[in-house]
Amino acid sequence: MHWLVEPGFWSNPVVRTALVLGAVVAVVSAVVGVVVVVRGQSFAGHALTDVAMAGGAGASLVGASPLVGFLLAGIVGGGSIEAAGAERVRDRDVATGVVLGAAAGLTALFLYFVSSSTSATGSTQSVLFGSVFTVSPSVVPLSVVVAVVTLVTLLGVRRPLLLSSLSPELAAARGVRPRVMGLTFVLVLAASVALSALVIGAILSTALLVGPASAALRVARGLVGATLGAIVAGVAAVELGIVLSYDSFYWNAAHRSVPVSACVVAVVLVEVAGSTAWSRWRRGRG
Amino acid sequence: MVPVRASLRRRPVWARAVGLALAGVALAGCAASVPPVAPGTIPVVAAESQYADVAAQVGGRYVSVVAVMNNPNADPHGFEVSPSVAREVARARLVVQNGAGYDDFMRVVEAATPSPRRRVVVAQRVLGLATSIPNPHLWYDPSTMPAVAGAIEADLARLDPAHRAYFAARLARFRASMAALRVRIGAFRARYAGRAVATTEPVGDYLLSALGLVNATPFRFQADVMNGVDPAPQDVGAVESLVTGRRVAALLENAQVSSPVTTTLAGLAESARVPIVALYETMPTGFTYQRWMAAEIDAIERALATGRSTRRLS
Repeated sequence: MHWLVEPGFWSNPVVRTALVLGAVVAVVSAVVGVVVVVRGQSFAGHALTDVAMAGGAGASLVGASPLVGFLLAGIVGGGSIEAAGAERVRDRDVATGVVLGAAAGLTALFLYFVSSSTSATGSTQSVLFGSVFTVSPSVVPLSVVVAVVTLVTLLGVRRPLLLSSLSPELAAARGVRPRVMGLTFVLVLAASVALSALVIGAILSTALLVGPASAALRVARGLVGATLGAIVAGVAAVELGIVLSYDSFYWNAAHRSVPVSACVVAVVLVEVAGSTAWSRWRRGRG
Repeated sequence: MVPVRASLRRRPVWARAVGLALAGVALAGCAASVPPVAPGTIPVVAAESQYADVAAQVGGRYVSVVAVMNNPNADPHGFEVSPSVAREVARARLVVQNGAGYDDFMRVVEAATPSPRRRVVVAQRVLGLATSIPNPHLWYDPSTMPAVAGAIEADLARLDPAHRAYFAARLARFRASMAALRVRIGAFRARYAGRAVATTEPVGDYLLSALGLVNATPFRFQADVMNGVDPAPQDVGAVESLVTGRRVAALLENAQVSSPVTTTLAGLAESARVPIVALYETMPTGFTYQRWMAAEIDAIERALATGRSTRRLS
């Protein structure tokens, strides 16, 4: 393993917390991400990351746990996007854009107060771009609980949810209420975004949500296969990103390492590019 | 990269909420007022409260000193110049600032309010240091303030030659009290030189080397915390093992610059029974510069001698 992992990797407590939390978050993001891509809600997912960002900034202002801030803001923001109505795709798009702008403005205000009136340092960096290496180990149990609740909820509503995504008319005929489905899924999405914001930051969490899922959907056959593929791709991206960031410490004499979020996103991009190339090649042959 | 950072003490949640509300009210009524200068005194502006204190000690009753960052919640990094600061600097005959990239906003304000009669004392220049010096917390070096006080006295004597002798006498008194502080440092050094400590941030590093203590924390880690970027996991692991393995006699934390990394480190120190000492970034209220430094040295000595923590100076 020495060719891949530099010395001290496995015994470092910071790295161990990052590996565990990263894996949990990657699984949730991948599973939720597949539904996001199928429903065509990547933009709503990104808006929720901006809402989560405002929550994270607010949490660091009052000294609360960032996960709680990300989560509360995501639930409130996601609820307001759904409540804003939006039966039609265009209205939904506008509602999403308005909530996104408001959230970004609030973030700017909160981060200004954080830097001018509290002892917290580096909040902008950690809220926007994440810092899985600085997450306190005490966050892990709560993250696991949120992850389990999210996955169980999604599993419970998977049939009506997918039906209403793929064929709203058929779903309505079977008695599925689209608003209830929409709201449930936005809450699931908010929880997933909150988790990934902890690891790679609010702004970058879209990458972890959409990237592995879209790569897997290009390669795999069927939703179950795509979901399993997304889990593998997501966990690989996060864990490989952590290894790369750790190893980058030894790449230069000044020991300036590459931030873990940048490494994770780089691996995600490679996965997406690879899956695109592969599906083109396969189509060319078939 | 310019190392810039300073900000403040934790306050309870309700206090921050009230502060937030008040800030909103203040934004609504932006007309900042500048307190009048007492007649017959020289208006002096200092960027940080510790320099304001030294300027007041040297200038005595012939100066009116204002500290820009007199609010213990001002953060040079996120500091935005208000109209009242610009007006105070425009009116000042003498300005005292740290330099070394720590309070760059002062240069901006001075350039925006040119005044041929104003004199500017920059601690970093008085000491003959480069702007790019990695650790900007110059006031923790016991040789800094006597030199800065000398420069302040020279400028005051030029601005107000009639009270030249008064300023010289006050400077001599300040330097005598600093000599007493140096005796205290020498006594500490004789007892504790070579003991290892860990720090969260480089704020007190100059004092630690004067005290003969060995700072076992990699500078990269301290600089990362100061600059608000994430330290590398290798460095975090190294610092945490200093504390959990009890390889240091105390953890000295910058009480005014906290992050999840420093909070975790303080928690580890508590459970490993390594005493924690708060080093303040700016002079806490109710102190003079000399009494502040003496209180920090007392707190470090208490930690080394009895293992007791001092999380707050009073």
